[in-house]
Amino acid sequence: MPEADANVILRLGSHSEKEYVEKTIKQFDGVMVGANLLQATPGATATLLFKLSKQAGRPYYVDPMTYAFGSYVDPDTGRVRSDLDWIKSDKKVKGKPGKLTRDFKSSYAKLAETFGPPYSTAVSRSKAVEPGDFTSDQFVEDSCRRVLAFEADLLRNVFRQDPVTAGFADQFPAPTALLAPYFYIEQSRMADWIALNRRLALASTAVRNDIPIHIVVCGHRDLLTNAAHARTIIDGLKECNPAGVWLWFSRFDEHVASLQELRALRAWVEELSPQMPVYNMHGSYFSLALSKVGMAGIAHGVGYGEQKDVVPVIGQSTPTVQYYVRSLHAKFSVPQIIRCFTTLGVTTPEQFFRIICDCVICKNIVGKDLNNFSQFGEIHYSRPSAKRASQTPAAAKRCRYHFLLNRSKERDYVRANTLRTIADDCNTAADEWRRTILAQSIGHLREWADVLR
Amino acid sequence: MKPVAKFAHQQGFCLQEHELPFYEYRIDLYGFSAHHNSTVAFELKLADWRRALEQALLYQLCSDYVYIAMPERSAGKVDVAELRSQGVGLISVLESGDCSCLLPAATHAEVRQFYRSTQIEFLKESASA
Repeated sequence: MPEADANVILRLGSHSEKEYVEKTIKQFDGVMVGANLLQATPGATATLLFKLSKQAGRPYYVDPMTYAFGSYVDPDTGRVRSDLDWIKSDKKVKGKPGKLTRDFKSSYAKLAETFGPPYSTAVSRSKAVEPGDFTSDQFVEDSCRRVLAFEADLLRNVFRQDPVTAGFADQFPAPTALLAPYFYIEQSRMADWIALNRRLALASTAVRNDIPIHIVVCGHRDLLTNAAHARTIIDGLKECNPAGVWLWFSRFDEHVASLQELRALRAWVEELSPQMPVYNMHGSYFSLALSKVGMAGIAHGVGYGEQKDVVPVIGQSTPTVQYYVRSLHAKFSVPQIIRCFTTLGVTTPEQFFRIICDCVICKNIVGKDLNNFSQFGEIHYSRPSAKRASQTPAAAKRCRYHFLLNRSKERDYVRANTLRTIADDCNTAADEWRRTILAQSIGHLREWADVLR
Repeated sequence: MKPVAKFAHQQGFCLQEHELPFYEYRIDLYGFSAHHNSTVAFELKLADWRRALEQALLYQLCSDYVYIAMPERSAGKVDVAELRSQGVGLISVLESGDCSCLLPAATHAEVRQFYRSTQIEFLKESASA
């Protein structure tokens, strides 16, 4: 199998994360932004990407987010929904204090307008795009052309329209690749969605040849191990022969995945990579290690995001950003780590730096007092009326920077070592931590080692 | 909660707070005995004692004693030897509303004065507020 250079693409979820990307971009291999973010804040996003390009010369990608307009499975009920509710929000009704109405988030509404039919039609009827909405090949081509034009040209046009930036518009780099529009392969109609995605992929590669076209395969984790549908998709990709493919298996978390799923992911990569670069759109260290068998790269957010469900669970409180342990390639709460200190023999800062982490963030925070490690988990009441204490923004920031620095080290480590060494190190870490309270939470290490060998 | 709080009180842990924050966790009941200068944490669970033990082990960082409290029917299914090896105690909450201590919690080496004193301060502040 062709070995690939492990690449890590940072995904910018919102502009509140731009500081992380700006400060660490030189450590990484590119940036990805969602079309909804681009649509909501074109000026700020264009300025940021231009700056990053000038600063570090790293490529960027725009995720067209077209799947958002398709039907989805409600994570609460397990039922297929086509009401597009997850891209709606409660909005205040002007002139009627206290009254709320449920309507499309403005970024998605504008995006649909820009993409045109069938996206705009779906929004106006408040019903998801169906495979049957793509009524003809001409319709498919026109639709693909609009989506790809958005990805390719919007940023440059934003610069062109502003007198302050107009002079730089021609210097605005094009995306490294354009992602063809794609839909979630919803399980109740898998064959229909696979067929539609294939049409969109073929049309995209046909209508635009100035910038490489990448395809996104977006489905439930069960798709990984569904031999028949996997075969159809893989054969379709080979026929389409895009410049790259991004895999996104919703609900697939490499840390809790079964051996069968992990092996299936490896098999997908091994089968596709001789013909095209394969990326994991939301991957962790396991996928990074798969670069040794052809995975070209992974993407994830600055606060981890190594796994993403197609439809986020609504109504959860802001999650705590946990501390990433590089040797375990996983994140844990601060008390969990501290509770391991005695077993691991960590009683001084020097031992902490040797056994847990010696990144610049940890060295600065822990300094000469091991108790300072608690700063990664600091909590506060964000407002007087808050019922629950939550992590302070400063603590979350420490955890994110620590993660990003460690991810960069992991990427370098993978590049420099053999698959055998990477697998052996997973087993070694599992051995070293087996007597800690985390013993039950690090089963992924043995499974990864097993699959990587 | 009430039977466990009563049990803690009887043991001398008169200063009490329920749902006491400890990082992103919330200790179901935390108590301090000024007389014995000791602290106790209780993790209440209806059935999943393994999950309770995971939490209890974390609470050892800030508590001299840690107990798992469960309804009588669940408490009988707990691996007491496992809890004993970790110094975690077990309380059975009876239908009558009383508590029966099936395994006393032991002192342990995991408590960090840094966290323990922070929790005691929090308790005292809450009590005086």
